[in-house]
Amino acid sequence: MKAKLNIPFIRPLLFASVIWLGSCESFLDLKPTNSLLATNAVYDAATARALVNSAYTNLKGYSNSTAITLGVLPADNVFFAGSQSQNIELDNNAFTVTNSAIVGAFRSNYTLINITNWAISEIPKVRDEAFAAGEQSKLLGEAYFIRAFSYFTLARSWGGVQLQLAPTTDLTSLGSIKRSTLEDTYKQVLSDLAKAEELLPADDNTTRNKIQRATVRAVRAKVYLYTKQYQQAEAEATAVISNPKYELVKPYSAFSQSPYLTKESVFELSATTNNTGTSGSSWFPASGTPRGSYEFRPTNELINLLNNAAKGGSRKVLIATRGTDIYGNLYRTVSPNLDPAYVLRIAELYLIRAEARAGKASPDLAGAIADLNAVRGRADAELFAVGNANKEAVLQAIWDERRLEFAFESDRWFDLVRSGQAEKVLGVEKNFWLFPIPQADVLADPDLGGENNPGY
Amino acid sequence: MYYSSRKVFWLVAVWLLGSTTFIYAQTAGKSSGAITGVVLDSDKQAPLVGVSIIHSGTTNGAITDVDGKFTINVQRLPVVLSFSFIGYKKQEVTVNDFSKPISVSLSEDLSFLNEVVVTGYTVQQNKSISGAITKIGFSEANTNQTDQDFLKLLQGKATGAQITATSGTPGGGVSFVIRGNNSIGGSVSPLYVVDGVFLNTTLPVTGGGGNLLSNPLADINPADIESITLLKDANATAIYGSQGSNGVVVVTTKRGKRNTASKINLSVKQGWANPVNKFKSATGPQTGELLNETWVNTAQANNESLAAYLTREKPTNWDIVYPFKTGEGSPDFGRDNIANLPTYDRISDIFQTAATSDYQLSVSGGNATSNHYIGLGYAKQESTVKPNTFQRFSARLNYDNNVTAKLKLGTSYNVVRTERAKVRNNDNDPGGIINSAIFPRSFLPIYDDNGNYLNHATFNNHNRLIEHLDNSYVTWRNTVNLYGEYTFLPELKFRSSASFDFTNNGSRSFSDFSISTNGAASTSNSLIQVYTAEQLLTYVKTFKGKHDVNVLLGNTVNVQQSQGINATGSNFIFDVLREVSSGAVTTGSSSRSENRLVSFFGKAAYTYNDRFTADFSIRGDGSSRFGQNVRWGYFPAGGLSWNLGEEKFIQNLNVFDAVKLRGSFGYSGNQNGIGNYDALAIWNANSQGYLDQPGISPGRLANPDLTWETTQQTNLGLDFSVFRNRLNISLDVYRKYTTNGLQSVTVPSRSGYSAAIRNYSEISNKGIELSVESRNVNTTDLRWTTEFNISANRNRIEKIPQEQTFGATNRGTSILREGYPVNSFFLYKQLEVDRETGNAVYDDVDQNGMITYADRQILGSANPSFTGGLTNTVTYKGFDLNVFFYFTQGNKLLNMHDFFLVHGGIQNGIGFDANQLARWQKPGDVTDIPKMTRYTLNPTVNNSPANNYTGQVANLSSRYLEDGSFLRLRNVALGYTLPRSIVSALKLTRVKATLSATNLWTLTSYKGLDPEVSAQSTDQNTAGYDWATVPQSRTFEVILNITF
Repeated sequence: MKAKLNIPFIRPLLFASVIWLGSCESFLDLKPTNSLLATNAVYDAATARALVNSAYTNLKGYSNSTAITLGVLPADNVFFAGSQSQNIELDNNAFTVTNSAIVGAFRSNYTLINITNWAISEIPKVRDEAFAAGEQSKLLGEAYFIRAFSYFTLARSWGGVQLQLAPTTDLTSLGSIKRSTLEDTYKQVLSDLAKAEELLPADDNTTRNKIQRATVRAVRAKVYLYTKQYQQAEAEATAVISNPKYELVKPYSAFSQSPYLTKESVFELSATTNNTGTSGSSWFPASGTPRGSYEFRPTNELINLLNNAAKGGSRKVLIATRGTDIYGNLYRTVSPNLDPAYVLRIAELYLIRAEARAGKASPDLAGAIADLNAVRGRADAELFAVGNANKEAVLQAIWDERRLEFAFESDRWFDLVRSGQAEKVLGVEKNFWLFPIPQADVLADPDLGGENNPGY
Repeated sequence: MYYSSRKVFWLVAVWLLGSTTFIYAQTAGKSSGAITGVVLDSDKQAPLVGVSIIHSGTTNGAITDVDGKFTINVQRLPVVLSFSFIGYKKQEVTVNDFSKPISVSLSEDLSFLNEVVVTGYTVQQNKSISGAITKIGFSEANTNQTDQDFLKLLQGKATGAQITATSGTPGGGVSFVIRGNNSIGGSVSPLYVVDGVFLNTTLPVTGGGGNLLSNPLADINPADIESITLLKDANATAIYGSQGSNGVVVVTTKRGKRNTASKINLSVKQGWANPVNKFKSATGPQTGELLNETWVNTAQANNESLAAYLTREKPTNWDIVYPFKTGEGSPDFGRDNIANLPTYDRISDIFQTAATSDYQLSVSGGNATSNHYIGLGYAKQESTVKPNTFQRFSARLNYDNNVTAKLKLGTSYNVVRTERAKVRNNDNDPGGIINSAIFPRSFLPIYDDNGNYLNHATFNNHNRLIEHLDNSYVTWRNTVNLYGEYTFLPELKFRSSASFDFTNNGSRSFSDFSISTNGAASTSNSLIQVYTAEQLLTYVKTFKGKHDVNVLLGNTVNVQQSQGINATGSNFIFDVLREVSSGAVTTGSSSRSENRLVSFFGKAAYTYNDRFTADFSIRGDGSSRFGQNVRWGYFPAGGLSWNLGEEKFIQNLNVFDAVKLRGSFGYSGNQNGIGNYDALAIWNANSQGYLDQPGISPGRLANPDLTWETTQQTNLGLDFSVFRNRLNISLDVYRKYTTNGLQSVTVPSRSGYSAAIRNYSEISNKGIELSVESRNVNTTDLRWTTEFNISANRNRIEKIPQEQTFGATNRGTSILREGYPVNSFFLYKQLEVDRETGNAVYDDVDQNGMITYADRQILGSANPSFTGGLTNTVTYKGFDLNVFFYFTQGNKLLNMHDFFLVHGGIQNGIGFDANQLARWQKPGDVTDIPKMTRYTLNPTVNNSPANNYTGQVANLSSRYLEDGSFLRLRNVALGYTLPRSIVSALKLTRVKATLSATNLWTLTSYKGLDPEVSAQSTDQNTAGYDWATVPQSRTFEVILNITF
């Protein structure tokens, strides 16, 4: 300053601002009011429970939308009549490396894996008397199960994937992890399932929307089916089928009636009005009530099969008609969406065992047909003739049965791929049987070596 | 005007008569004594306040008071007094006599050098400015244009500002970028400062799909604006520190002038807006024919009979198979069947002639110690696409009072109510009104036989939406500044101000049973408060007549708080009960967030003899948003300027009236785009997760190094005037380099996260700006002026962590890639449509014989090569004509309209745009639209029907990419001012009538409705999409201005 600063105001003012500058740091320290700070987020029984609960929430969110989309659109039961290109691509089996549905699904599974990794790493450290007896190990068991389930989803959709088994604290902790083989990925699934079974308490007689030991065994049966370990698949399926807690409910439509959670369900993810579930809005026609977008529509072929009394039987309830519109009628609620996600039904265990019995080294075709007919009989469809069976015919009948029994659930595409029918039925060449790894990952993760699945 | 200056003149005359006698009596006959006198404007003969008078060769000086009067004591006579005043030519007067008061007339200096410019925290004369600053004076001519938002009014008027209206919705979004995009992950919007108040720019209405539905700056009534200054280079913006690097828009509103009689202005505007072009659908029979052809071509490609294909593939819904609805067996492909299809015109239903109106009333004036401006405004505009409306009430009071000779107090107070009603997303929204009209196949009826609305495929009924929409978004905004200014010494002032910008956005909407099953209501309220306390100490002094010193020291504390509540209701019993509380299911939520900024800044400038100026400024910012490792940022800048015109060697050339060279260098920052708590690692909590139990999960990774983006900028400028100041030319070149760019960095999915925000990217902009002002003809009766400006900017991504694609709802049509500009389009390049096969042939970049992701390439960007404006104003006696052109050249647009509606038959249940009719039909056809087909197999084969519209290419074809350049006659206005004789007889001061036309004519090769669109502009990385956007309308207006 060039002029005299002998002005009474200035000095105190400058002085005050210097003092005040010292207190700036705390003035600038602001914390959010509606989220937790990550340092020490899991510290007691309540936060441990909440962490595992969010794994359930994410699993439910995945199972009631993405899983269905990926399971049905690429296959032959449902076609897409909307304008979103990611779904048109799925419907046309023209999967691209930037397909938002595929990218989203890939990320959702790893998000779930990260949550469970946190649970597996943090929950054992918590010391809190508020835990009920055995609760801590139950929470841990649930986390192992959900991680296994996510890796199973990744394996059947993308093949062998990177096995991330530690929580992400910061990006430097990610480390270098290459893609595992498909075999090793399934090994990880089975090892997590084994830990889950060990940690979970004994089953009760009512729970179907939380993980039980029987749930673990049911999923294990399915995993063995994918790895073609038929002997083990049969054993695991038998363990669940023989459990009196579960049975095929009759009529077929009974399992999908509110309040749900019938004896049919081995694992079902329930919806509430605050945490909603599967929606009918993609399925219902655009005119009339309830109104939907009518983007997911049953194909003509499926409609004919379901309407054929010998084949569809009582499963014709899966389709309904409004005016001239024929639509899929498994998910029937909109705003709020209260349909659950049917992850595993006992009918599937019968068909898993049927396939395992027919597929194993020394096929048990009679046993396979008995299981197949259990499902057909429940649906009042024509039974499979026991007499003139050969292995191929029985397997084909089981696969065809799965197509109808789980018409709008999330397995059809994976069944076509698993059974090698995708080329014959859909005309999709083998290179496109797996989804592509997201382009963003190929670019961002040096461990992928710049490579995608073959064909992309 | 005439009235008031005459009145002032008489006042002055009376005062002169009285005071002269008094002064004469006091001073006669002394050897040392006081020289007294008055300083007047030579043109208007009005007193000039604040003129500085210096006894040449000494530091002895004085300043004129509110009456233009001064007294200066000198030792002996004669003396030379030097009179200087901003905006006026300096004058020296020799005084020989104490006895007579002197009267000095200063004439206005027309040289641009003396123009006064409001810059950051100061007012400066152009000659001492070394930075790149553009001033736009706002006049009636600006508001002739129909837009109610000053950003749109700046388009084509200022160099360096690239302004794009994202749609033709009144009060709708505007993208405003100064000197190119500096940022990928942060904001690219400039800082807006209105009368010293930092504005919050939270959107009052947000839409889905990246659609920028509203512009918060439409809350400022353009009629209240006096001038706008754009601060562009580092030297001008560094004083705004971590908020400056995107440029600063300083808005000054009108204030009254002291000693001016009150003037009342009334302006009334009435107009009619029409869409220039409308969408065109294929007719019913044409649609049938296109569908027919699709089935035939697909069956052929499949090598199967049509009957077999249809039996296998026959879709189940009647709207898809309509032309073939002949039951089982061999379908009837007779053309008669198709020719009889009806055509339903939905497009006419959605457009309307929209009314616009605007009323303004203002009073301004002042007495000896205070001045005031009061402005009241009301504007209403309808959209040309039903049923949206925009309304704004505004009131402003600007008041300054010289309480004592040393203390001045004042306020700028603005209160606004803006209402947007019946808003529906259009841009990029499949549920929008435009889409509901253009998507359905045109042969499908709008109503059933009973007159009920019919929906088709996934699309709502457009008339249902138009008739049943019930929502409104109301913004109440108070922008207030209170200040006190104390003059310790004439050269030393302290100013303290407190300001706040207080925005309340309230919205309510109800979807009745017709729109939503069981009804849905929502209501929300948000309150955004920006508080700024500011202390400024300024020291401005001229030593010995040739050393100008200008020093500024300041401190601000800025706090921004936002909080909101939101409630929704659903499952209504009756849809006459429309409030949330009547829903059987209700939800509520609230949010709160805050950030703080503490800043210290200083600026010093020294000018030697009006020739050389050197200045330096620095700001230190501490922000609560920054990570704890990097809380304080410092932003220095400096500049030099040289008034060459003062040098003999230039003067001897006798060409230039003024020449000035400017150069500056410095750093400014950008923290806009960092969320308030982004640096902290947090976990999210959800009280009602699975089975209504609480859940917690990892939300964000910590980033203690998260901080501002830094932009380094060098600017060189040259300003000169020739032909007696009748031609002014200003040229700027600049280079900007931004480091530490905020970037959402994609992280491997296996981390459980998809992206994390980091300071990583680097981006550069360089450009050139030229503006020319010419007074072509300047006679008493006829005046003709031309203003021309043109700006070119080249943007380049220098460093990013990895390529990222965005846009078109995850289709990845826009890419960020090193070495290319932002907003580059990433597509498959269609080389031709094979004349023999009718299939699209694409450029196989890697020549591996397959069309894969690797064959996608960058085919242009949405950034223009240059933009500019040309304004011609001619006044002849009472008439004035203003013609304003705006142009943009070299930008590409992705025509998503064709992307979806020239789909070759792959989109189930969706109709066709008329452009589809130009498809290939038979060998020999030359066209760029491939043949219709649904064939999808072998998606990697080039020249296969699979890639015409689907497959690997999935419509990401360059055939939808078009040149978006245009030249537009933005506004032409013809005004007539009634002669004074008539006006005086009416006891009025001025009456003017104007006819104005906005968007009268456009030259473009773009095939969509309007080239001025940006449907996904909430994200700066996805510019240049045209998708179901409300087009700019052509508006005719009648304007009447009356001054009492």
